[in-house]
Formats: sequence, structure tokens, C-alpha cells
Amino acid sequence: MKNKSWSLMAMLLAVLLVLAACSDSDDSTKEEGSSTPKGEEEAGSNDASLSLSVENEGDAVEGGVLQVALVKDEPFQGIFSWELYDDGYDSELMDWATNVIFETDGEFRITDEGIASLEVDEENLKATVKIREGVKWSDGEPLKIEDLILPYEIIADPDYEGVRYDGDFQNIVGAEEFHAGTAETISGLKKVDETTLEISFKKLSPAVFYGGDGLWSYAAPSHLMADIPVADLLAHDLVRKNPVTLGAFKFDKVVPGESVQFVANEHYWKGKPKLDGVLVKVVPPSSISVAMKEGKYDLAQYFNATQWQEIKDLDNIDILGRQELYYSYLSFKLGKYDTANKTVVSDFENSKMGDVELRKAMGYALNIEEVSEVYYNGLRERANSMIPPVFKSFFDDSLEGYTYDEAKAIEILDAAGYKDVDGDGMREDKNGQPLEIKLAAMSGDQTQEDIISYYLQNWKDVGLNVVLTTGRLIDFNSFYDKVRADDPEIDVFMGAWGTGTNPSPFATYSGTSANNLGRYTTEELETILNNIDSPEAMDSAYRSEQFRAYQEYMEENAVVIPMQFRYELFPVNKRVKNYNVDYETETELHEIELVAEEPIAGN
Amino acid sequence: MSIELTENKELTVSPPPTGWQVIWREFKKDKVAMVSLVGLIVVIFGVFIWALFIDQDALMKISLRDKYAAPGSENYSGLGSYILGADQGGRDILGQLIIGAKNSISIAIAITFITGIFGIVVGMVCGYFGGWIDSMFMRIIDFFITIPSMMLIIVFVTIVPKYDVPVFIMIMSIFLWTGTARLVRSKALSESRRDYVNASKTLGTNDFIIIFKEIMPNLSSILIVEMTLNFAGNVGIETGLSYLGFGLPPSTPSLGTLVSYANNPLVLYEYWWCWLPAAIFILLMMLAINYIGQALRRAADAKQRLG
Amino acid sequence: MWKTIVRRFLIMIPQLFVLSLIIFMMAKFMPGDPFTGMITPETDPTRIEELREKHGLNDPWYEQYIRWIGNAAQGDFGMSYTFKRDVGALIGERAVNTFWLSLVSVIILYAIAIPLGVLAGRYHNSWLDRLIILYSFVSYAIPTFILALLFLFFFGYTLGWFPTSGSVDIKYDPGTFGYVMSKIYHMLLPAITYAVLATTTVIQYLRSEIIDAKTQDYVRTARSKGIPMKKVYSRHIFRNSLLPIAAFLGFTITGLLGGSIFIETIFGYPGMGQLFISSITSRDYSVITALVMLYGFLALLGSLLSDIIMSIVDPRIRIE
Repeated sequence: MKNKSWSLMAMLLAVLLVLAACSDSDDSTKEEGSSTPKGEEEAGSNDASLSLSVENEGDAVEGGVLQVALVKDEPFQGIFSWELYDDGYDSELMDWATNVIFETDGEFRITDEGIASLEVDEENLKATVKIREGVKWSDGEPLKIEDLILPYEIIADPDYEGVRYDGDFQNIVGAEEFHAGTAETISGLKKVDETTLEISFKKLSPAVFYGGDGLWSYAAPSHLMADIPVADLLAHDLVRKNPVTLGAFKFDKVVPGESVQFVANEHYWKGKPKLDGVLVKVVPPSSISVAMKEGKYDLAQYFNATQWQEIKDLDNIDILGRQELYYSYLSFKLGKYDTANKTVVSDFENSKMGDVELRKAMGYALNIEEVSEVYYNGLRERANSMIPPVFKSFFDDSLEGYTYDEAKAIEILDAAGYKDVDGDGMREDKNGQPLEIKLAAMSGDQTQEDIISYYLQNWKDVGLNVVLTTGRLIDFNSFYDKVRADDPEIDVFMGAWGTGTNPSPFATYSGTSANNLGRYTTEELETILNNIDSPEAMDSAYRSEQFRAYQEYMEENAVVIPMQFRYELFPVNKRVKNYNVDYETETELHEIELVAEEPIAGN
Repeated sequence: MSIELTENKELTVSPPPTGWQVIWREFKKDKVAMVSLVGLIVVIFGVFIWALFIDQDALMKISLRDKYAAPGSENYSGLGSYILGADQGGRDILGQLIIGAKNSISIAIAITFITGIFGIVVGMVCGYFGGWIDSMFMRIIDFFITIPSMMLIIVFVTIVPKYDVPVFIMIMSIFLWTGTARLVRSKALSESRRDYVNASKTLGTNDFIIIFKEIMPNLSSILIVEMTLNFAGNVGIETGLSYLGFGLPPSTPSLGTLVSYANNPLVLYEYWWCWLPAAIFILLMMLAINYIGQALRRAADAKQRLG
Repeated sequence: MWKTIVRRFLIMIPQLFVLSLIIFMMAKFMPGDPFTGMITPETDPTRIEELREKHGLNDPWYEQYIRWIGNAAQGDFGMSYTFKRDVGALIGERAVNTFWLSLVSVIILYAIAIPLGVLAGRYHNSWLDRLIILYSFVSYAIPTFILALLFLFFFGYTLGWFPTSGSVDIKYDPGTFGYVMSKIYHMLLPAITYAVLATTTVIQYLRSEIIDAKTQDYVRTARSKGIPMKKVYSRHIFRNSLLPIAAFLGFTITGLLGGSIFIETIFGYPGMGQLFISSITSRDYSVITALVMLYGFLALLGSLLSDIIMSIVDPRIRIE
């Protein structure tokens, strides 16, 4: 007994020593900090000069297992089926053993490089998918056309409970009949021969080249799954434990929610991977930076960019970064959604934010540049439009965006008649009535709290009285609940969209979409949006022209104020010989090599 | 249940003389307790008075250039300096510590007060009268004990439309009154069996006068101990909630929010000034409360008395 | 006694029923539902509405409750909306983890707290006593997550003595000896962290029990008979003071279950506490309700267990 209590004391002492050690090292950093002017210190560390790829010196070792950390606070869900999963983390895991049949270029347009190629017949609303010969599943069975048809039948099945049976999917001829149970097969899917599938659509738009319009980009092993009722699939071992796949690695072992072990797939159609396998483990964000430093992992996925400072000085890793398909925005409530008629009804006259000048001023007043620099170290940047720059042919880099200009914001407000009548420092509306703008913003980490307070301060500086709806930040669920319900307590709100690989803005800004959260719609905008997805837009020049028109329209009318684009970070250990995150030239998983037996620890 | 065990022992103790005199004698004998008491009073008054001079809007104003300014370093705008450094929003830690301490102390006092009053009334009534009132309340208290309170608090926090200090106090009070009630009940139960109570009863004294004039003073020291410990517990719960993201809104700095800054390694190691002062403050408060509580406990229990 | 135990179990039923009603109602009052989080520009709001309808989420809450309680009475707690698994199986998996973690924690907790409490009580007012009291309060004042992070960084990463995340090493197969050892190994650091933090009550209680006992008549009698103090301690005082500690067991275990949220999150240990937080955020109603019910049940069981132990160790107390 006595001995035990002493070992405890020793442990306690050790903790105190750690604490003391921390404070010691802090003293030295503090002094460094005070000797350099602060502004420069921040600017110097800005924009990490992120690279997209890394090549490490050294001879590759034979095989080896890549140690991957999936940064996540809670266990993963573990639904390893492209048809059934909901959570992004699951798709990250599945990517090692993917079932994808198409490959895409830097702008996510389907190419001929993959297992299957796509030909589109616009006249007859048909697409032809042709698969390579000799491609095998990870269990050695050859890939068949039935494997391409099965996913459609899973999704259209009456028992299917996922989100993918949607309007887009119903664009496949015969999908609705199959869903209703009135047809045995989906009539729009026709097996032409052993390697060719013909798909008929109700309408076609350029989205089909990006895997939209109902086209499905994954295969499912019909030799195993065809006879399993869809209702039972979710719980089936083929989905939870040992999925059969087409990618470079195959599932070997799964500890539910915690870790997944992949081994090289000897049947991979591009050749056997150089690695022996990949081990992915869930690591909580609170310890990921220390884990990277101690050389526990080769690669961290879903690393939160706000934690960049924790790892920026590590000498055993490289930090790769690329822009995400994401933008955050400030949007204004300008109407309501009429659920009965499924239309957006804008009411500019009676909306508090109906005046375009007021909206513009709110945009100019936000010092997003400083927030991006100080809080995100340049890992987020002011967005000038709603199209992430990755989409080179649609992105309009000539747009100014609402760059921070306090004087301009004040000038606009003065000119538009928002004046401080009662002398309390806050502007009144055009009729001299008090103007209180209610902002809904989502809660997040401490940083998010600070940033929103800062933005409120920005608006206060130009004389706008902006307060938070409900008095605090709103959690994700309530936020979208309120925004979707057109809660009268919301005048403006800050949200974000992931654009997906098809950047068409129709779903988020059209006059018929419930996802048009700002409820702004005009005929002019509607025309442009329709043009973007029209058959004429199969011509890329025409499509990008329409995209530009759309971006200009959105900016001129301040429909939404684009706020930030963001980067995702990939800390990569120096043991990894080659890794590339460029969308265009992304590393082929089977070519990854390692130069040491274990991940390298930092000093 | 520890209480029930000691019941028999209590019977051998003669009712203490006047409570306050005994307490005062204990403090005079125990220097640590005395220092703690004086220190605590000074700190609490100090915090409340100091807080009056802090402009909270100015304090919570974000100054991005002062992000994680080290203790003692100068303000970016050149006005004044940060004695205890700044947090990631460039806000003065010292000021937040004072306001935070004020908020946390007020919250704890309010909760202790509400749960105290409610618990005492329920506990007294149950313990003194017994019978169906007692069994009814005991079932209710049993029910509250079954409830996983941390979880329900979190659910409550998600539901309330506007989450601020009074709401927080309310939610916490709902779950915390039962402990006090239980304690008071078992004490009242044993007290009400004593001779002096029986004597009063036979003299025809009104029940409520017996409860509040005769039994209550004899429970006072136990109650003070209970309340002081509750106080420390409340700060702990609040810290935990902040860490899980269910803490008070950012406009209301509290000790809990300050400590929960430490949830990333960078702040934990490098920017320790964000959380350490608040943690030390909580620790010192708790130690002080404990030493005071021990002195009070001794005062309540003649066998342990020093003087 | 058996009669009493059965009666206590019967009383549990209405208690759990009320608890389920309250929690179900509250869960439904939370804004949003399991499908709110699934919306991206590509998802079709009509499809989401269809799914809501299909799962009966648009019905009034009492209808949903009646449906739910009807199924629950038959042991079917429904499907988790996020994990798409049977709630019983999902919670079962996590509960096993949490249960073992709690058990190991309790063992370590007593291994630390009993010697310290005894020492503090025996050498009352000595420097050792003061040191132990200081420790017990420092450990009470340190927020769980701070100590957990420090332990994880120091013992897990810097020294590399313990695994740093998960509940088992993937290389072992369930059922093997290595698997069990790996499970225990993964539990140690979280359990130690928890134990170090939770000692306060036990130390304090034990200490005051022993101080109390010193002045008791039986000790005086024993001393007057000339029995050496050492023997008085080992034969009389310790035994008498330790017995009630056993009664804490039930409460301690349930207390640990509730407090496991932080530990599980930081050590990436898939247990119930963590599941609760994530189901709150994702509005996974079926999991929330089932979890609260389980906790409620365990708490009731814990208090019953405590009472039973009490009545065994101390004949003066009979459970009514």
C-alpha cells in the first residue's frame, strides 16, 4: 500500500514538473515576442507558403504501412458504402479503397483515364459508360456492367433511406417507377454489351460531365450484394466490416469507430501498391499536433486549419495545403419560402435589408482581411465570389469583391440616407426609425466567438447596430432550423456552403429552391442560373461566360457577400517519399512510398 | 448515508452553546482558517469593487493585433500594458479574470442561495414532520438523484432560447437543491428527536417556531459547510460545460471560460497565461473555502474542536 | 431483504417511465432534427422532408413518444439516426467500454485514496496530513481535461508508456489473450487520470472517519487495556472506517459513468459519455433517450447496491 501511494506522489510530481517546464520555455518565447514589433511578427508568419506536394529524399523502403490520423472528436460511423454513407469521414476512409469508376481533371470534369469513360449524346438525352476490360474487384472477381447498375437499384429501392434518392436521381428514366415498385428494373439503364452501359435521362445539363444529373460514379459488387435486400445492407458485413472494393487498398480489419486497417489490393487495375498497407486511426483534435510532433503518424486528415500554429514549427513534417471547395458568406433575409408552391417570394420593399446600398455597406465594413490573417494565418482568405478559384474556367478573378473599406461603407450609408438622427452614435434607417439588425451566426470554437464579436465591432464602427439573434451564437442545428423557417428574428446570417465538384449555383440561388436561404430571386438572376445549366452550356465557353455573368450579378446586387475561401491542411511526415494534394495531379495512392521504417519524430 | 451513520453518535453530543461564539473561537485557534477567511473576504470584496471600475464593453473589445500578448507586454495601440497578458482575441486577461471571478462568484452565491433556501425548507419540513410529506419529497429527491444531471443540463442549455446568467443559475439550481435537502432532512430528523425539541413541543410551541428558532441555529454550521463546498462544485461544473461548448456566452467572461481556453496544446503550454491565473484563482478559493469549512466543521462537532 | 430488493426494482419502473417522458419531451424541444445536419446544396429538401415523414418526425411528440415507449417496452430502442445501427447494439458496444473503464478506474481510485485517507487520518494535523489534503484539493480544483491532456502528452506521447487513442490495438482479434491485454492497456492511462482526480471525496471521508474513531470509546477501551496503538489501528479503526467506504462503491461507479465524458473525448476512447455528446449535437433522439434511461437505471441500481452493501456491513442499518 505504502509503495503505491509513493508512486502516486512521484507521478504528481512529474506533472508539476511538466507544468514548470512549460512555463520555463514560455518565458523565452515571451521575450522573443516582445523584441520584435507585433504587427510584423504576425505578417511574417502569414500564409505559410503552402505547397501542394512534397518529395522527400532517400531510398524507399520495401513496403511499409502508412500511419494515418483521422482528426475527429468522436468515433467514425463506419458505413462503407458510397450509396449509403452520410458522413464525410466515412468517405475519407473509403477513399483508400474507393469504388469510383470515373477519374476527373483539376476541375472535376470526368476524363477517360479511369476505369470507365463517359460519352454523352445530348440530342437523344443519353450517356454511354464504357468500362475497361480486365478490372477486378479486390476479391478477384471481374468488374461487370451489373456492378454499375446495382448502385442505381440500391438508391432507387423503396427501402432505401438515404438522401441520394432526390430530384437529381429521378432524372434517370425509370427510376421513379422502380422506386414506386411498378417496375422490375430501371428502364433507363441498358446493358449494351459486357463493357457498355447506356443511360437515358429526362433532361441533360453540363452537370452530367461532373457526375451530376443523376449519373452515378461508383460501382457496387453485384456478385455479392445483388441478393441482399436493401433494408439489410446497412447492417451487413459487406458495408460495415469487409467491403469488396476496386481501389488501391482493400479493407482488412475494422475496429468500429476507432481504426481501419487496409492492405494492398493485389488486383488493383493500375498495379499492386508499393505500400503493404495503410492504418487509419481516429485521433482527437486536442492531441493531434503532439501526435504529429512525436512521429506517431505519417499523415493527418481533417486537420483543422485553426491549429496550424501548433504544428508550423515542427521539423519532422511538411504541411501541404489546398483550397477547399467551400465558401462562407453573409446573406440577407429578403423574403420567404412558399412551401405550398415551392417558390421563393422576395419582398425587397418590406425587408429590413431590402436596400442594396445597406447590404453593400455591410459588406465593405467587414474587416475579413485582418481576421483571415490573424486568426487563420492566411489559411482562409477573403472570397471575391461564390466560385472557389479551383474552378479555373468559371472563377472570375477580376471581381473586386467587398474588400474592407470602412470609409466607403460610411460614405454609402450616408448617401443612402442612413443617418444618425438621435445622436447616439448609431445610424437610424431612412425614415429616422431606430435600425437594429439581427445577425444569426453559428457557434463553433472560441475563435469563432471572437471573430463574430469582431465583426459586430466592425459594423459598430460604421454606425450600424448589429446584434446577435438570441443574444449568442446559435448551434448548427438551430441555426439552419431558424434560417430555413425564415425566422423573423433573423435579418442577416453567416453561413457556408461546400460547393461540391459541380459548382452550379442553381440549387442555392434559384427561385424554386428551398436551399436559397436568402430568399432573393429576380427574373434576371433566374435567367442566368437557367443558362448555366441549359443544354447550350454544354459548350464550355458559353457556360463560363454565364458563370461570369452570375458572379457579376451577385456582386452588383449584393445578394450575398462572399466572405472567405479556406484551405485544408495536410501535415505529412518526412518519412513519406511522395505526396501530392493538387486536385489536378493528386498522388496515385498505389505510388506512395516511405523512406524510413517508422515515422520520424520531431525535436 | 454517511449522515445516517453518525446519527447515533450525535445523540451523545450536548447542544453547543451559542453557535457564533464557538465558530469565532475556532477561527481564533486556527491561523490558517483565519487567514483564509480574511483572504476570502478581501478577495471577494476586492473583485466586486474592482469590477465596478472595469468597462466591460471595452474589455471585451477585440484587438486582433494583441492576440496572445505576453504578460507585461505593451498594448498594440501603445496605451497601457497587459499585466497578465491577453487571450487570442487580444483581450486583457487580468480584466477578464476580475469580471470572470465576479460572474462566477455571483453565480455560485446565487445558486447556493437558491438551492440552500429551497433545500433547507424542504429538508426541514420533511425531517421535522415526517409522514407523507416526507415520503413524497423523498421520492422526488430520489428521482432527481437518478437523473444524469450533467446530461440534462446540457439538453436544457440547448433548448433555452436565450442563454445567460440568470438562466444558467436557474438550470443549475433545479438539479442541485436535492443534495442540500437530503442533508438537512437527515440532520433535522435527528435534531427533532432530541429532548429540547420534545420539551418545546410539550410546552405547545408552534412547529414553525421550533423549526426556525430552535433547530435551525443548531444546523447552521453544517449548512455553511455544505454551501461553501457547493460553491466550489459549481465553478467546476461551469468549467466543464465551457469545455464541452455549452458554457456561458462570450460576452460573459467567467472563470470556466478562461480555464477552458486550455483545450489546445498551444494555449496549454505556450500561452499558459490565458488559463493558469484562473485555475490558480479557483484553486486558492477552494483551499480557502476548505480551511474555513474545516474550522466550521470542527465548530459543529465538539469532539474535533481545537478550542 | 429479498422482498425489499424486489420492491425497489418495482419502484424503478414508474421512475424510469417519468424519466423517459421528460427526456423524450425535452429531446423533441431541441431545435433541429437528425436530418437538419444532412443538408448540403446538393441534397434535395424534398427528399429530406420525405425521410422526416417516413420516420414519423412530423407527428406530434406524444404520438412519437407512445410509439417509442411501446417499442422500448419490447426491448426495441429503435435505430440511431447517425450511426444507422440498432441503438441497443450501439450503446451495448460503448457501454462495455465505459463499464470496464469505470471498473478499472474504481480499483485504481481506491488503491490511491484508501492509503492516503488512512495516513491523513492517522497522522492528523501532521505535515503528511496537510500534504495529502493539499493534493486532494489540487486534484479537485484541476479541471479534468487539463490533467487529462497533460497526462496524455507526457505519459502517452513524450514517454510513450501508454497508447494514445482508441480502446484496442487493431492487430489483435477479439477473444484472444492479446486482445484483452490490449484493452486493459488502453484503459490504464484514462483510468489513472480519472482516479487521480476523483480521490477527494474518499480521502476526505476516510480521514474524518478515522479522526472521529480515535475518540470513540472502543478505541479508548482498547488503549486502556494496553493494546499498542499500531494494533488498535489495524484491528479496530481501519476496519470500522473502511467498511462504510465499501458502501460508496455503487455510487462511485455511477458517478464515474457520468463523469466519463471528458476522459473519453480526450483519450479518443469510444464510450457512452462521448456518444451522448455527439448524439446531442446530431439530434440523434433515439440514442439520447436510450442513454439517459440507461444512466437513470444504473443510478437507481447503484443506490440500491449501496444500500445493500450498507446493510451487510453495518447491521445497525436495515434497508426498509
